[in-house]
Amino acid sequence: MTTIPFYRRKETKLVLRYVIALALVVIFVFPIYWLFAISFKTPGEIFAFPPVWYPKSIQFNNYAVLFKDGDAKTVGNSLVLASLSTVFAMILGTIAAYSLVRFKTGGENLALWIISQRMIPPVAIVFPVFLLYVWLSWVDTYIGLIILYTSFSLPYVIWMMRGYIEDIPLELEESALIDGCSRREVLWKVVFPMVRAGLFATAVFTFVFSWNDFLFALVLTRTEVATYTVQVTHYFGGQSNFWSKIAAMSVLGTIPVFITVATLQRFLVRGISMGAVKG
Amino acid sequence: MPAIAHPDRNFKYWLISPAIFLLLLIGLFPLIFSLVVSFMRISMLETDRSFAGPVNFVQLFHDARLWQSLAHTALIIVIALPVELLLGLAMAYLFLDTMPGRQILISLLVLPTIISPIVAGATWRLLFDNRYGPINQILGWFAGHPVAALWTVNPRLVYPAIIFCEIWQWTPFMFLILLAALSNVDRSLTEAAEIDGARFWRSFRYIVLPAIWPVMSIAILIRGLDLFRIFDIIWALTAGGPGTMTETISVYAYVQGFQQFETSYMAAIAFLVIALLTVIVTFAVRRMGLAK
Amino acid sequence: MSDLKITGLHKHYGAFHAVKGIDLEVPSGELTVLVGPSGCGKSTLLRTIAGLEEASAGTIEIGGKNVTWARPRDRDIAMVFQNYALYPYLNVHENIAFGLRARKVASDEADKRVKRAAEMLGIAQLLRRFPRELSGGQRQRVAIGRAIVRDALLFLFDEPLSNLDAQLRDDMRVEIKRLHQELGRTMIYVTHDQIEAMTLADRIALLREGRIEQLGAPLDLFERPATRFVAGFLGSPKMNFLPAIIESGDVILRDGTKLTLPPGRKAPNGQAVILGLRPQHIAKAGMGTAPGHVQLPSTIELVQPTGSRVQVSMPLGGSSITAEFAAHEVTAPGEQVRIDIDMIRAVLIDPQTDEVI
Repeated sequence: MTTIPFYRRKETKLVLRYVIALALVVIFVFPIYWLFAISFKTPGEIFAFPPVWYPKSIQFNNYAVLFKDGDAKTVGNSLVLASLSTVFAMILGTIAAYSLVRFKTGGENLALWIISQRMIPPVAIVFPVFLLYVWLSWVDTYIGLIILYTSFSLPYVIWMMRGYIEDIPLELEESALIDGCSRREVLWKVVFPMVRAGLFATAVFTFVFSWNDFLFALVLTRTEVATYTVQVTHYFGGQSNFWSKIAAMSVLGTIPVFITVATLQRFLVRGISMGAVKG
Repeated sequence: MPAIAHPDRNFKYWLISPAIFLLLLIGLFPLIFSLVVSFMRISMLETDRSFAGPVNFVQLFHDARLWQSLAHTALIIVIALPVELLLGLAMAYLFLDTMPGRQILISLLVLPTIISPIVAGATWRLLFDNRYGPINQILGWFAGHPVAALWTVNPRLVYPAIIFCEIWQWTPFMFLILLAALSNVDRSLTEAAEIDGARFWRSFRYIVLPAIWPVMSIAILIRGLDLFRIFDIIWALTAGGPGTMTETISVYAYVQGFQQFETSYMAAIAFLVIALLTVIVTFAVRRMGLAK
Repeated sequence: MSDLKITGLHKHYGAFHAVKGIDLEVPSGELTVLVGPSGCGKSTLLRTIAGLEEASAGTIEIGGKNVTWARPRDRDIAMVFQNYALYPYLNVHENIAFGLRARKVASDEADKRVKRAAEMLGIAQLLRRFPRELSGGQRQRVAIGRAIVRDALLFLFDEPLSNLDAQLRDDMRVEIKRLHQELGRTMIYVTHDQIEAMTLADRIALLREGRIEQLGAPLDLFERPATRFVAGFLGSPKMNFLPAIIESGDVILRDGTKLTLPPGRKAPNGQAVILGLRPQHIAKAGMGTAPGHVQLPSTIELVQPTGSRVQVSMPLGGSSITAEFAAHEVTAPGEQVRIDIDMIRAVLIDPQTDEVI
């Protein structure tokens, strides 16, 4: 019987791991590939049997249609809603988290109540909010959706930023107070610079949550501020010649998220697990 | 008590009040509103604003469609959650050690998680198409004959389709969290156990699992909650059909409120959902030792 | 003229009473050290002076102004923290100038002051660096620089040297002493290290359980401690405490050893006392006996060289005591020696009240 040397066994293991890893990547990425592929296909390629695995040529006709019909404007809406609500949620959430951490405002109970707000399923609040918005004439307006997304992101932002703020050495703030800063200046000159990395990480996910929302947008938008997720579902129902639109619209709505996440990738892990993993 | 107030005493309230105001507006107000409305009889046909007593809550207990929707939700959770967890864990172990291009492969794997659930549903709708979709085509290669399964229509196949899509989108989430948790486990502990002759399973059970449990339990909780309110993927794939076969609690509540305009009844459902969630979460938090 | 005057200061944290009624007046230009074991309230006292904690009762006056309820920035103080408190996202220049910026000092004036402070502290070549690129000692210099550019009335130091290693700590201590002489400003310095306290202070306030146990010049406290606690806290190695009884002007130890008190030293006859002897006041006997000294035979049990000096343990009066000899005076354990005790500087303590008689 021959024994395989230790280092050889290790190499074999690595090759095996690598094969499995590549297979997994293919399986998980294939659907996204397919989506992108369809968006570049001609109708003939989309409705070919058996299916065509890749478009013969990259053509942007499917996108051009979206821009010509004005459907692409919904991506712009999503961009406005998600970015502005992210900015507001980051500012309001961070100062609230600072209050919770530094002054123990409301004690542990207030902090728990805030995080419990994330538990509420959107479907449980969307209807009363709808009626409230009808009354305020906020349905299908930027302000309505921005306020909604901001509030809905707040528990997450507060929870995450609480962790980052707890890591700021108290001495830095105290030193600033003695050196001549007011409480407000301490926030801008010490706290925000100190949690910059945390702000980015949290902002990415806040942005992605709002960007990916469907239910709120479905109920609270009509035509003016409809988001791309709502627009995608408009192409569902029956007629399969909308396939190219589904794919192109989805890709348009996916690329900004990919770009955002790719540029801020090193912040991913702590953000995705709500701060459960430090680092 | 000091006679003179410190000049910065109210600062902390100024900081937190905007957030509290918004949370009350979007969080607490709808709850109270739902509670009040759920005791009335408002619907598309009636605008009776008088107090109706617990009729809506009584109706909940006789509503077979409601309990079916809960059962559908439970079915999806019971299958998808363990699969996502175990698959995610296995993948995390696979990527724990270095390998060429590890970072790029991980980034690619995470893509499904960051796309919108609506887009994920739409994508799988295209993939599952009985004629032009690649799934049936690939299955045909293995089966040796053409397959024309109607994934989003055939009652026997809709659940596999939904759950497959769900697992595809969210396993990477588990994977990423568990990978981070595993990387934080002190290697010297598992290596010491290996030297002592412990099998993989023993060292996992007694060293690794306790170390990653705090993170893992939060991941399970987050995913459990998300699965409980699953809406987008189903809306995109089946819209609750065929019939009401894949109607989850969120879909059902939406249909009641926005397609049948049973305002009061939907409020009652919303309340039931929140009550159920509170019970489940409290139980889970206690059971998993999250309440530190 | 005093720059700081504290009257009847109390600080509660819920049920915990951290500062229990402190009166303290610090004369202009003096360096006062607040020293005591951890938990004695010295840091709390300092932080209350700075306005980082609210006083529960009492008043604080800085420069003749009642600042009990003033914001920290309105108190005309500068403070150096234990962990340096440098802003990692600012370079050394910006760190030092931070306080001047916050107070809207004109930028050319600020630059001038930063340069002067940096030169004073020997960090002029580091102004473009970031805190993470500095050693511990350099960081501490930057932290001190940030305080001195402020040109405040009162400088507060909260254990500034406790994160440095021993060698560096000695250097920085000298530096701080020099700065105090050059600037001539009023300083309050908190430490738990009695050597730091002795070497730096013009005056020491020794705190214990939220009260000032004794206030005075370092040598006063060392030579004339008011209580057993003060006697035991200051000095290294620690003072030896031996139970004894006074009989007709002599101190009788537990085993009957008789130590004659110097003539004229008042002592309550027949009362139990605790005899306090500093190791430095126990020497190897020379030729004659000086007046007020007592000589006794003993056997060395343990020898701990510290360089120029050596700490020796030996039995006396039924306990083991520590003495400090010159290094060349001792050879090995077991050696028979004659020791010379300076009874003039011996301390007698009432065991009931722990106060020095």
